Amino acid sequence: MKRFRSALGAMASAIVLAACGGSNTDTAPTNDSTVHGTLVENPPLRIASVDAAAFQAQLASTASGQQLLQLTGNPSCGVDFYYLKFYTLGAANETTESSGALMVPTGAAGSCSGPRPIVLYAHGTQTLQTINIADITNSANTEGALIAAMFAAQGFIVVAPNYAGYDISTLGYHPFLDAAQQSGEMMDILTAARAGLPKTFAASTTDSGQLLITGYSEGGHVAMATLRAMQAAGAKVTAAAPMSGPYALEAFGDAIFFGNVNLGSTAFAPLLTTSYQHAYNNIYSATTDVYSSTYAAGIDKLLPSATPIDALFQSGKLPQTALFDSTTPVVPGSAALTALLAVPSDPNNPQTPLFDLGFGNPYLVNNDYRVSYAVDAASNPDGALANPPLAGAPLAAKAPTQTLRNAFYLNDMRNGNWAPMAPTLLCGGDQDPTVFFSLNTEVMASFWSAEVSAGLIMVLDVGATPAGPFAAVQAGFQTSQAQLLAFYESAAGGSLPPAQAAQQLVEGYHTNVAPFCSLAARAFFTTVLQGPQP
Amino acid sequence: MKKMIPSTLPAALVALAAGSFCAPTAARADDVPANSIRVGMYAIFYHVTSSGIQGQYIPPGVSLDLKDAQTPYFGYIRRLNSKFDVELAFGVPPNTKTIGRGPATVGSVPFNGQTIATAKWLAPSVLLEYKFLSESSKFQPYIGVGVNYTSFYDRKVTAIGQQGAGGPSRLSLTSSVGPVGTVGLKYQLATHWHLNVSYSISRVDSDIKLQTADVVRTAKVHFGPQALVVAAGYAF
Repeated sequence: MKRFRSALGAMASAIVLAACGGSNTDTAPTNDSTVHGTLVENPPLRIASVDAAAFQAQLASTASGQQLLQLTGNPSCGVDFYYLKFYTLGAANETTESSGALMVPTGAAGSCSGPRPIVLYAHGTQTLQTINIADITNSANTEGALIAAMFAAQGFIVVAPNYAGYDISTLGYHPFLDAAQQSGEMMDILTAARAGLPKTFAASTTDSGQLLITGYSEGGHVAMATLRAMQAAGAKVTAAAPMSGPYALEAFGDAIFFGNVNLGSTAFAPLLTTSYQHAYNNIYSATTDVYSSTYAAGIDKLLPSATPIDALFQSGKLPQTALFDSTTPVVPGSAALTALLAVPSDPNNPQTPLFDLGFGNPYLVNNDYRVSYAVDAASNPDGALANPPLAGAPLAAKAPTQTLRNAFYLNDMRNGNWAPMAPTLLCGGDQDPTVFFSLNTEVMASFWSAEVSAGLIMVLDVGATPAGPFAAVQAGFQTSQAQLLAFYESAAGGSLPPAQAAQQLVEGYHTNVAPFCSLAARAFFTTVLQGPQP
Repeated sequence: MKKMIPSTLPAALVALAAGSFCAPTAARADDVPANSIRVGMYAIFYHVTSSGIQGQYIPPGVSLDLKDAQTPYFGYIRRLNSKFDVELAFGVPPNTKTIGRGPATVGSVPFNGQTIATAKWLAPSVLLEYKFLSESSKFQPYIGVGVNYTSFYDRKVTAIGQQGAGGPSRLSLTSSVGPVGTVGLKYQLATHWHLNVSYSISRVDSDIKLQTADVVRTAKVHFGPQALVVAAGYAF
């Protein structure tokens, strides 16, 4: 019996020792610091890794991917998609976690490894809170696929935030068109990406130190604000290409409040007022100060949302297009100003039907608020909208007193007494119904006319008659639009009558410009990189 | 421990074993040794079924398998009476390889057939065994039922596994308690020496968790490990 107990005891000991003696591989270290610009986990998670052939095959498997490949060319590099989580600051300097993408070119080709330039990219407005531009496995992530194919697969390292308020960020709102916050976040993700890059699987791809800043729509504004902020900080920027952005926010806002309502305005409005309320705490005391009683309740927390925007429209949370009341509000003592608030009816303006979509009942913005904005804009006009317009299209002579207009003034890219010092391309489309080209890109070109004349700033309208270094891009865009129109009129496209087909084309115009301007941006960057570097 | 065998089975085994161990030694035949030890080899066939790997950024159809293993076997057998023995069996924990099953590549990372993780597998079993023939027979066939306890340690994600998962990863597998059954044949070489061959089947359920950064991927795996044992034994 004694021997039996000894044997059993020895076995049990062996078992216990074996069970306790093991080790385990571990995850990436988590950074304890929450200082903005800190990468939370380093190395960051790689969501996917595709070589050039696999990426090409993946894109070629869908019709939209095939169209994209026609523009971008076949991938010459593979791409590793990393998911960055980093700390940044909110509009009121709150510390928050944000996320984004680091796309690293891979492969044996010389243009795919070694020192490579970084494209710092800012995406366009998203109403869906769950957007993750790093998640290339999500087929809805079209902008992620665009920048991966356009830049990363051609040898550019791409860094792109999802923005605070999206994805994992618990900020609870998005600092939409907040120049200080968004430029700060761009610099934070750049810092985080530069810390993470050497620890990735593709560590042989390194940062060349050449920085290219670009972005589309909201991201165009963010890209320009980032250029301004980096210049102010003394950081090196090699070139920039803001695209289709609402740069001249004051002029743009004034035009909208005077009835030139842009497509998408009913989504932009709550994003803007929520953003600026957090930044300046003076936009409203209650949401009913700004919004009609139909929509005011909860609108300050509506966007971005986990619910698709179409569902928000259908559930009555937002009107689809009716930003303003179709019954013109009366401005006391000013028949002229009252007339300026009327529903547009100029039959000679091809955009009149578009603007008219912005009026209805129920409507989003209440009449008193619209009048208060208009009174401020009329008494202290933006230089681009003054009658006659002022040379150089300057901002209003003094800071507006109406708080939303003042927020536009503060975040207008003409503010800050600056101009790009790096080569800059401003690209857009002159028929853009969402972000008006003339009131944004052309206003900035007027404002920076000296830099344009000197060739430091180039302006590209993809809708203009093809000419100059980007003639092929312009011709390609216009051919694409013509093909799209023919498609909408065809049986495969729904056999739409010409007017409806044209309307469909208008609704997609802003989105359709993006890949062509991105192509122009890549060509521009390539030219700059081939030139003399400081 | 999610999966438990009926609670009456271990209780019955303990009662049987305890009763036997405490019984007076005079109750057993004097010419049959009460204790045996065996040393041999396990050949383990895992027979894995898996729910597939679930989690973020995982393409469909990605699953797991285990590579069959061989490892030294040790057994201690306590004679209860002329018809029943109790066996405590275990193997030197084999370094078991987890194999990717599914597409040839995930993105551009090789996957199908690749060793993505390794873990050592500690799986002792206690069995109550019934002997069909007289203890004086040269050939002594037997069957047994019992309980298997399985735990995993030294869990490591390989370099290719980390490539597939997207970075440094932590692997965990929950322990399991499950039933085990065996059929065997003992061949008496001499008074103290014998040869033994047995074939055992057990059931192991484990939840696999693979954490990369703060992304967790999971898989439920059901093993039906079958073990062929060839061993030499010594009775004392």
